[in-house]
This record gives sequence, C-alpha cells and structure tokens, in this order.
Amino acid sequence: MNHTIHLHPVTPPAGRPVGADALQARLGSRLAGGLTAMTATLPHDLSERLRVAREQAVARARQIRLARPAAAANVSLAGPSTVGGMGGAAVLRGGPGRVGTGGGDGLDSWSQWAGSFLPLLVLLAGLVLISQWSVREQVLVAAEIDSLLLADDLPPAAYADPGFGEYLRTSPPSLLAR
Amino acid sequence: LASDKELSDFLKSVEKRAFKRAVYAVRNDDAALDIVQDAMIKLAEKYADRPAAELPLIFQRILSNATMDWFRREKVRNSVMQNMSDFEGSDEDGDFDLLESLHTLEDTLGTESAADAVSRAQILQRIDTEVAALPLRQREAFLLRYWEEFDVAETAAVMGCSEGSVKTHCSRAVHALSKALRAKGVTL
Repeated sequence: MNHTIHLHPVTPPAGRPVGADALQARLGSRLAGGLTAMTATLPHDLSERLRVAREQAVARARQIRLARPAAAANVSLAGPSTVGGMGGAAVLRGGPGRVGTGGGDGLDSWSQWAGSFLPLLVLLAGLVLISQWSVREQVLVAAEIDSLLLADDLPPAAYADPGFGEYLRTSPPSLLAR
Repeated sequence: LASDKELSDFLKSVEKRAFKRAVYAVRNDDAALDIVQDAMIKLAEKYADRPAAELPLIFQRILSNATMDWFRREKVRNSVMQNMSDFEGSDEDGDFDLLESLHTLEDTLGTESAADAVSRAQILQRIDTEVAALPLRQREAFLLRYWEEFDVAETAAVMGCSEGSVKTHCSRAVHALSKALRAKGVTL
C-alpha cells in the first residue's frame, strides 16, 4: 500500500525562478511539505489548547467589534447636533445621520474636563470652608475669655501679680471656694 | 473587514504552523503556546478590522515580535535559551548537488508504502530536527518563504530585512538542510 505525504505545491509561491533557484524552491517546498505532515500529527492536548486560544481571540475580536458601535451610539446621544433624518438605529450609530462638526465632541470633552476637575474644586472649597470655620472658632473662644475676665470681680491685673498667683497655689481649696 | 468566521478560519489555518515556528525558536511547548496565544489575541484586538487578505502578513509579524518579546523577557531573567547572535550559517559546500538531493527526497517522501511507516516518521522527525537546528534567521526565512508561502518581498517585510538577505538566508537554509539530511541517510 502506498502512503503519500501531503506536501505543499512543488511550484514556488511567487515568481518563476529558473535553474538553481528553481531547484532550491522545489526542495524548499518539499521540505516544508514534510513539516506540514509532521505538524498534522500534533498531540491532542496541544491541538486543544490552540483551539481554545483561537476561540478566545475570536471572542475578543467580536467583543471589540460590538463595543465600537455602542461607543459611537453614546457619543451621538450625547451630542446636541444629532438629527433624526435616517431613523432611529442609523441615527444612534452616528455617520450619515449626524450633522454639524464638533458639537458632540465639545460637550463630551467638557464633561471629561468637569469629571476630572470637579472633585479637585470640591476639595479646595472644602479646605477654604474648614479654614474659615477654624478662625471663627478661635475668635469666639478669645471673645468668651475676654468677656469672662472683664465681667469678673477680680481685676485682670491680678492674674499678672506673682503674689496673687502664690496665694492661689498655697491657699486651701475650701478658702478659694468661698 | 474580516468577519468572525474569516478570522477563525485564518487562525485555524495557521495555528499549528505558528506553534511549530514558536517551538523552533523557544524550544518549549508551553512558552510557544503562550506566544501563539498572545499573537492571536493581539491580532484580534488591534487588526481584526483589517481585510482578511492582510491578516497573514500581519499575524506573522506579530508572531515574530511576540517571539522576540519572549526572548527579551528571558534575557531579563538571565536564562536565554538561544544564542541570538548565531545568525550566520556554516560555510557552504560549492560542490554540493541540490538536484541530487531533490530527487532523493522526492523518491523517499513520495513513494512510501505502509511498511515504511516507521521510516517515514523517522524522516519527518529528521527534517523537523534539522529545521530546528538551523540558525534563527535562516530558519525564519525558510519557514516564511516555503512553509507560509510568502514571496521574497513579503518575507523581507516580516523579517525586517532586505530581499537580498531573504534570498541568501533561504539558499543557505535549503543547502544546509539538504546536506544534513543526506548525511543522515534520507539519503539526504
């Protein structure tokens, strides 16, 4: 029984080489045919892993292809210059139904700008408010101390008197409480 | 644009050859599978919207780059498994008869019987081994030119070299293979 190895065409892939070039091309093709026969018998697990890799790649391509029209539809819906001349789906996908230049893109870039800088602006405003509130609190505390000192029977100069300070430290609490 | 089916059919048609190309380069099945998978994903992510006719060239270029990336990563880990500077083949034998090799190879491969199954497997294994032993650039040129059936200009584009270099690499590769296989009794 004859057993034939499946080989690539003996004719070289391009051009019409003659003489030594033709021989070289024929031999190269025969050797490549041997490699093809060798590759046809890859182990099953390798073939399966290649199949899985291929399916993942095709799924990825499909995913990207589906994502592109959706992204285009979002831009068209956001843009104020979209008109409904071509009917629902065509308009949502952009293209011929869209007129005007830059309207949707301008709004889109503005919203991107706002999205980037709005949190920063809110943070700055918060810091300014906290600073002002803190200063106001300090002023109120100082005013309360001043009003207590001025309203007390004891003159404020007494607190600067070392003798009075010594009197406060050495006197029993019962005497001071009176 | 290439449809899902066209992309799938294309990948199916090249996946085994791509795997073998990667195996020849990195000498490791798992790494070769990773490289082929990376190349497939990259093709799907970035070039799936190209016409189906453009996919073969793009894919081979991506595969070559993915293989080079693998070598770079391996170099970082100080475990390069291939001598990348080994681009030059041995001196050619001017008296070597290519025509004789061709006749012998055609006789050997074309008229085998079932009784020669073991011999056939051995021949294929020897071809495989000798291709794997070729210097990197010669092997790339040989595989792209004769296995992927690219023309000289396309092969040069994928390899990033001149058409003259492609011809030189191919010539040296075929001569080296013929000589080595005949020396091992194919009777190449």
